[in-house]
Amino acid sequence: MSNPIKNPLAAEQLVADPVPSAGEPISMHPDADLSKTVGKIEVKNAKMSMRSVDVFYGDKQAIFDVNLDIARNEVIAMIGPSGCGKSTFLRCLNRMNDTIENCKVTGSVLLEGEDIYATKQDVVPLRAQVGMVFQKPNPFPKSIYDNVAYGPRIHGLAHSNVDLDEIVETSLQRAGLWSEVKDRLDQPGTGLSGGQQQRLCIARTIAVSPEVILMDEPCSALDPIATAKIEELIDELRSRFTIAIVTHSMQQAARVSNRTAYFHLGYLVEVGKTDDIFTNPNHKLTEDYITGRFG
Amino acid sequence: MSIDNFTGHISQRFDDELDAVKGRLTEMGGIVEQQVGDAIAALLNADVALAERVVKKDKSINKLEVAIDEDCALILARRQPAARDLRFVLSIIKTTTDLERIGDEADKMATQAISLSEEGKAPHGYVEIRHIGQHVSRMLSEALDCFVRQDVELALKVAQEDKAVDVEYGSALRAMMTYMMEDPRSITRVMSIMWSLRALERIGDHARNIAEHVIYMVQGDDVRHLGLKKMAEKVKQR
Amino acid sequence: MSNSHSPSTIEIVNRNLAVRYARERRFRRLGLAAVLSGFAALIFLMVTIVGDGWRAFQQGYIELEINFDAEALEIDDPADDDQWQYADYTSLIRSALRERFPALQTRKEKKLLYSLVSPGADYQLANMLVENREWLGQVQRVRLPVDDDIDVLLKGYVDETLPEDERRISNAQIELVKGLKSSGEIALGFNHIFFTAGDSREPEQAGIRGALIGSFLTLVVTLSLSFPIAVAAAIYLEEFAPRNRITDIIEVNINNLAAVPSIVFGLLGLAVFLNLFGMPRSVPLVGGIVLTLMTLPTIIISSRAALKAVPPSIREAALGLGASKMQVIFHHVLPLALPGMLTGAIIGMAQALGETAPLLMIGMVAFIVDIPAGFTDPATVLPVQIFLWSDSPERGFVERTSAAIMVLLFFLIAMNAVAVLLRRRFERRW
Repeated sequence: MSNPIKNPLAAEQLVADPVPSAGEPISMHPDADLSKTVGKIEVKNAKMSMRSVDVFYGDKQAIFDVNLDIARNEVIAMIGPSGCGKSTFLRCLNRMNDTIENCKVTGSVLLEGEDIYATKQDVVPLRAQVGMVFQKPNPFPKSIYDNVAYGPRIHGLAHSNVDLDEIVETSLQRAGLWSEVKDRLDQPGTGLSGGQQQRLCIARTIAVSPEVILMDEPCSALDPIATAKIEELIDELRSRFTIAIVTHSMQQAARVSNRTAYFHLGYLVEVGKTDDIFTNPNHKLTEDYITGRFG
Repeated sequence: MSIDNFTGHISQRFDDELDAVKGRLTEMGGIVEQQVGDAIAALLNADVALAERVVKKDKSINKLEVAIDEDCALILARRQPAARDLRFVLSIIKTTTDLERIGDEADKMATQAISLSEEGKAPHGYVEIRHIGQHVSRMLSEALDCFVRQDVELALKVAQEDKAVDVEYGSALRAMMTYMMEDPRSITRVMSIMWSLRALERIGDHARNIAEHVIYMVQGDDVRHLGLKKMAEKVKQR
Repeated sequence: MSNSHSPSTIEIVNRNLAVRYARERRFRRLGLAAVLSGFAALIFLMVTIVGDGWRAFQQGYIELEINFDAEALEIDDPADDDQWQYADYTSLIRSALRERFPALQTRKEKKLLYSLVSPGADYQLANMLVENREWLGQVQRVRLPVDDDIDVLLKGYVDETLPEDERRISNAQIELVKGLKSSGEIALGFNHIFFTAGDSREPEQAGIRGALIGSFLTLVVTLSLSFPIAVAAAIYLEEFAPRNRITDIIEVNINNLAAVPSIVFGLLGLAVFLNLFGMPRSVPLVGGIVLTLMTLPTIIISSRAALKAVPPSIREAALGLGASKMQVIFHHVLPLALPGMLTGAIIGMAQALGETAPLLMIGMVAFIVDIPAGFTDPATVLPVQIFLWSDSPERGFVERTSAAIMVLLFFLIAMNAVAVLLRRRFERRW
């Protein structure tokens, strides 16, 4: 059989993998060339545009030279095996990596043509523009109302209590949660079911009216029905927001996204229309991953 | 053996299921090939017993078709295959349908063979049957081969051959018309021959379909209704 | 499958089962024994202390008919408070005693008679009259504490079978007391002096009020200094400080400080606050500062633990919405960590409440009769009071020591209960 690690660069990446997957080691295909992304990176009318992004944790490199555009009002899914850097990359897009010590990001990440890593860029307004939904539903231990109202309050988006009530109501409606919680807005958000909590977190994020919503495996802690509701919600949100979603479920990526990006060992291996990626991917690694040959 | 030159799935059972359905399809292909050969032989040799065997055996082909479809449905439900695996399962489903139709055509030919034999041996049209029959049999066996070997080049060749069969069929039809005009009494017999020719031509079409499925399965390019030229281009691109 | 020579898995398992269960039972019994022995020690301690101390809540009182004669008291100007305060009440008590027992005429007999009443009873009498000024010129029946020797006799601690010269109480005194007791003029009552008076050389006049207030004032200083400082330090170290060598050193030092013997803090207080800064000795302010130094590490460590326990998902959620670092801390992290911090603070306070050694160093061990009125009045604290009384020779101080311990334990348990309650009340689940 062929040597699983032929490419000396690839061997180095295996070592450099910041979060080694718990299971068996990821096998490298002999003719896998990671350094060049397959598929069309550029889009017309890009909302966000990343060029030669490298991410380091200390002296370990987690992301290697990623170039990618995210189009306005598209849902882009990022898939790949554990530790491939998809979450790390997602967190670069609203500088959530800033909170991690010794994490360094180089290259450019443009939001509407402005580099979000420029020294004059403040992270507070950035995160109001690029919101985030996390893997585990994490409502604040406050009332449902206060959860949703928190973002508008800290950013001063509401001029009066009436305004704030309206923001809370529309956000909950858009998150498809209003009818379920309208009679108990003063009850703690932590008392909701997992799926409701996650939708509350989405409502909380959209209450700030961000332009881009990043979702980091938003359904990994939810049951299939709650997952289906979130997917339905993502479908409705795409008309107003640009959404980047990291997911472990390939079926989910296939269902909700317009474009799919496949990450492998910190490289963006392939990006393309979701329909093509899931019926006829071009890169062997992508094919291996989505057909369940490793991961 | 795995279905292709890829490494196996993480789930060994998925591999086994795919191999099993592929095995069944190969089995079905073998039976169908045999049926076509037997039907042609029964027709040419006025062998009623052989023709009756062919008619009888068609049922087992139908059973296999149902079984393979069921296997594929289960794979879709259980594994939600993607990419190559998805195309593989889809191609299997379609190929089964084509094979079943080929079986039906063989069955039709065998029926014609039985009715022809009742009227005694007559030379008209047998040359054409033999000639086209050989050609179509080869196409069918090549189509099945290219499915098993995932051979796109061979698939392209099968598709190209179908064109030749169509041309042969056209000239054979004209010959039959001549026979009928020459001797109106033979019209019933020649009509039977024409039905059989028609069945052979259909078998060629189905073989071409199978070849197209193989190209879709291997390359992901849907080459149906494209024309041979463009099909060849697509195949050469890879 | 298996033949008779190779036993099946289940047979092997069954064979070992008894041994395994026996081992488990043995371990459980050992654990239970450990718990029980600890519990027994606690019960023993409680029984001894309560058994010794409960009598301190009782006090012998003698009823006397006192004639508040203005002339005898030499009060000619009722407007002059000094005259009320410094009048000769002792002679009033003595004349009342003489009138009660007209038969006792000799000097020795009179001395015996006078020794029935506590030497400090004149203060009580003075206070009674000051509060009821209309009594001047009237005859009133009042209850006055008896002398500690008589109190001991009343509580049955005197072995009357001993030869007279080996006792502190003579036969004549015993007779006298017996007579008064049978007529109901001497009886045991609730010892309110214990809760209302400051320290005294006379056990029957000694109370814990001075020490309690001293403890309270000291703890107020300690809490108001240590809690804000500790919380601020914990927040800085946990949320803002960069991870480097300096913060590592600070962290190690804080952990070490928590283990430093408390007397060292007392020495530090003596050297720095008293000698260098010239602060007054024996005052709650200095005591509070010293105890602050001592409790700081404890509260910092528990506050940091509370901050660490706040799930990072909450921080991420707030950061992801665009909250600034300060907003994340004050809106989310601090409210969630506060119950844990408060618990740590209360446990630190309980530790400070029970602390003696550092306070000895800064002079809070002095004999202080007056009840402190402010942070700079000389004072002592409960544990030091206990320490002082346990050293005193009088029989009456033995029970008072135990009683003071009971009061101290009561406050400690109450504070810990508050800590538990706070945790229950404010702890939020997420």
